[in-house]
Amino acid sequence: MKRPLKILIPLAFWLLVWTLASWAVGRDLLLPGPVRVGERFLALAGTADLWLSVGATLGRVFLGLFWGALAGTALAFATHFSPWADRLISPAVRVVRATPVVSFILLVYLWVPREAIPWVIAGLMVLPVVWGALSAGLGNLDGKLLEMARAYRFSRIKTLRLIYLPALRPHFSAGLLTAFGLAWKSGVAAEVICPPVRAVGSRIQQARLGLETPDLFAWTLTIVVLSLTLEGLLRRGLEWRRKV
Amino acid sequence: MEAESVIKLRDITFRYGEKLVMDRFSLEIPARGLTALSGPSGCGKTTLLRMLAGLAEPESGTLTGVDPARTALLFQEDRLLPWRTAREQIADVLPRSRRGEVERWLAFAELTGEGEAYPAGLSGGMARRLALARCAALGGELLLLDEPFAGVDRTRAQRLLDRLRGLEVPIILATHQPQVLAACDRAIGLDGPPLERV
Repeated sequence: MKRPLKILIPLAFWLLVWTLASWAVGRDLLLPGPVRVGERFLALAGTADLWLSVGATLGRVFLGLFWGALAGTALAFATHFSPWADRLISPAVRVVRATPVVSFILLVYLWVPREAIPWVIAGLMVLPVVWGALSAGLGNLDGKLLEMARAYRFSRIKTLRLIYLPALRPHFSAGLLTAFGLAWKSGVAAEVICPPVRAVGSRIQQARLGLETPDLFAWTLTIVVLSLTLEGLLRRGLEWRRKV
Repeated sequence: MEAESVIKLRDITFRYGEKLVMDRFSLEIPARGLTALSGPSGCGKTTLLRMLAGLAEPESGTLTGVDPARTALLFQEDRLLPWRTAREQIADVLPRSRRGEVERWLAFAELTGEGEAYPAGLSGGMARRLALARCAALGGELLLLDEPFAGVDRTRAQRLLDRLRGLEVPIILATHQPQVLAACDRAIGLDGPPLERV
């Protein structure tokens, strides 16, 4: 089967299911159909508000992704090389990973300004994922290559550049891709629960409060389209280009 | 290293975990020309080379006549970096001032046309030659070669041995190949474990 058909057939199937379900329910308030949602989506796309909200949300998600990845990387190296750091930090990171995001949102709400909550939360969700992926990568590093580096008198910088970074790159990429999805979901969830002035999550909350279900769907559709598009771009950007 | 210098191991004891590999082992190796270490698999040849390279610390005894920081060890495995090309593998061990030598070392290993190849794209013998060239390029006052011609055909091994001799650096190599043993200046037979004396 050709690639476009592989995408279009399931898409058409689910749009049909959605349409039939919407007809069966018979009320836009509960389940608007795809045509109605599409209309609202196009209408919103023509407003500056959508693009400004998307820009603000994107900024927060990427800020969270950046600091979470940076902190996760630093902590992975610290816990790998220092037994004491491992004893102190690893349990804390595991606790962060196991804590429901809603608990964090409500806790962080008490400590930081509302505008900062989404990126703080997104970073907190990213950190354990990147830490876990890099810790696994560091644990699986080929000791024989490291011994070779020592025997061949590689400097620390050279060992980092020629062995650690290439060996960890696939682990980092996989971790970052997983973390990206989490950053989106948790960042927008934080925007919904603690709405900043301008954010996609805030618009979702407004649509919910105003019982504007088609708008709620349209904003959600915006997030889904953005998330899939950016994840695809990120995947390409991080593609492991080893020629072997 | 002076022509007359000798590497001396005196009463060396070494264990891998519980396994006794050397038991008050003593040996003298002239640090000139080509010296072959022979013996059955697992007798301690690799351990001896690793010890000379400073990668295995004896439990007791003394080792003199060798500065591990000035040796180059060819490991029993190739230990090539999977993400570096053949050319890069050699450049990686050369100081900036010697980067122009890369092609010479590729030619040394008869890999002139394989400069852009990654290890996964090389045959076993080619990878071995690349690892040997990298070790020789690193250089030093003593080359320690563990099974340098594993997977390399006889005639090519002979040519490589001639080139190694041309480097005019003392070489100690471990081998099972009779023709390599025969081509060396001296051969030391080892029997272990544990190695006790020669």
